[in-house]
Amino acid sequence: MRIELRSVSLQHDGKPPVFQCVNLLVEKGAFIVVQGASGVGKSSLLRLMNRLQEATAGEVLIDGQPIAEQEVTSLRRKIGYVQQTPTMIPGSVEDNLDFPFRFHSAGTELPPNTAEKQKWLETFLIEGVKLHDDAMKLSVGQKQRIALIRTLLVMPEILLCDEPTSALDQQSKEIVENSLERLNIEQKIGIILVTHLDYMPSRANSQRFLLLPDRLEEVST
Amino acid sequence: MNIIEISPLQLVFCLAFVMVAGVGSLLFKLRLEKDLAWGTVRTFAQLFLVGYILKFIFDIKNPYLVILCYTWMIFWAAQTINGRVKEKKVHLFTPTFVSMVVSYMIVAFAVTGAILQVKPWYTPQYFIPLGGMIIGNSMNAISIALDRLFSDLRKESDTIELALCLGATYQEATGDILRAVIKAGMIPSINALMTVGLVSLPGMMTGQILSGTQPLTAIKYQILVMLMLVASTAIGASIVVHIVRRRCFTKAHQIAIS
Repeated sequence: MRIELRSVSLQHDGKPPVFQCVNLLVEKGAFIVVQGASGVGKSSLLRLMNRLQEATAGEVLIDGQPIAEQEVTSLRRKIGYVQQTPTMIPGSVEDNLDFPFRFHSAGTELPPNTAEKQKWLETFLIEGVKLHDDAMKLSVGQKQRIALIRTLLVMPEILLCDEPTSALDQQSKEIVENSLERLNIEQKIGIILVTHLDYMPSRANSQRFLLLPDRLEEVST
Repeated sequence: MNIIEISPLQLVFCLAFVMVAGVGSLLFKLRLEKDLAWGTVRTFAQLFLVGYILKFIFDIKNPYLVILCYTWMIFWAAQTINGRVKEKKVHLFTPTFVSMVVSYMIVAFAVTGAILQVKPWYTPQYFIPLGGMIIGNSMNAISIALDRLFSDLRKESDTIELALCLGATYQEATGDILRAVIKAGMIPSINALMTVGLVSLPGMMTGQILSGTQPLTAIKYQILVMLMLVASTAIGASIVVHIVRRRCFTKAHQIAIS
């Protein structure tokens, strides 16, 4: 899957543009980090790519086709989005991991079995968290990782991560960053990550960009 | 029927009640005298006007006129809902009005035509007051439900977006909210079923008794009305909430209210 933004602008009614003339090409298996000051529209940039929002000018293309021509529910399963503030549905950790399989667009996909879910928790080193624990009572860092696993269970081709580490301590931050890089290498999942923090992925093919009000500027790595 | 007519002179005597309140207002410096006076004038004017309109409609017995009058009442109910639910981003009036007209016509017809078997079904003496009660009660149910719908959609916007991001349709993402909202709209009429006759005597029933109807006839009418109101609040609230929810989302399943 390939995402292309062509001179994309975003503007809310009666306000100055959030950003303008953003160009970006996301090839299959890319690892892209977008940095920028807060309020510059980093989250909105991601939301244009899974069509939670519409660009006010320019084109968003998915595999060469305008995004508006895609069936939106299946598009959102292929382009996963992890919210900045992790939202848990009321219930257990397991209820949260099963949540994506409740919808019609899941088709015949079934949630993984308990052993597999347990394995996911271990991969993301969520120590001491059990599947039957109350998801609402977890720490922000733990919720962040449950949210990430929940999106990954849908097996997206591209993962949009909105400030995935900003609420985490140093140790959890490294776990998440390493996991994302590993997913990118091992499962060829494209990663687009926005952050206001300084983040330098160790991936050789990664690209870094700086979001400015009038363009998206590539930063040499 | 042993009904005592109220003469104009007796009505004038009733002004004494307002004067008692007026004296109280002066005594305690409540500054309500103006409102009391204006309110009294309006009560007289509005009710006499309604009385003459109803007399006119009752005398003519024209089905179109009855339906027009009913639609007019619904129009004002939809206006009231529109005013009570303070929502700027979504246009409420048309969907509320249209769905109220359709559903209440059906319920009112079911009651007069099918259950009471009034001949003809549009006999204004039955159709207008029964229909009026349907409108008044479900107007409250719809206001409560819509208010709750908008506040829940905003409060739960993160959870809704989470579901949308995982491939849910807007219907799937708001299923729980919709159920809670319709329930909230229906609870007052269900509570009324539980307490009717215990806490207070319903206005319609007391009205019938005052005008000479036997209590056992009056309670049967009251039972009919209570059950009719449960149906009409359920139908009215469900339809309006479904239509309005649709308007809170775009075709691409994006939240359209912020």
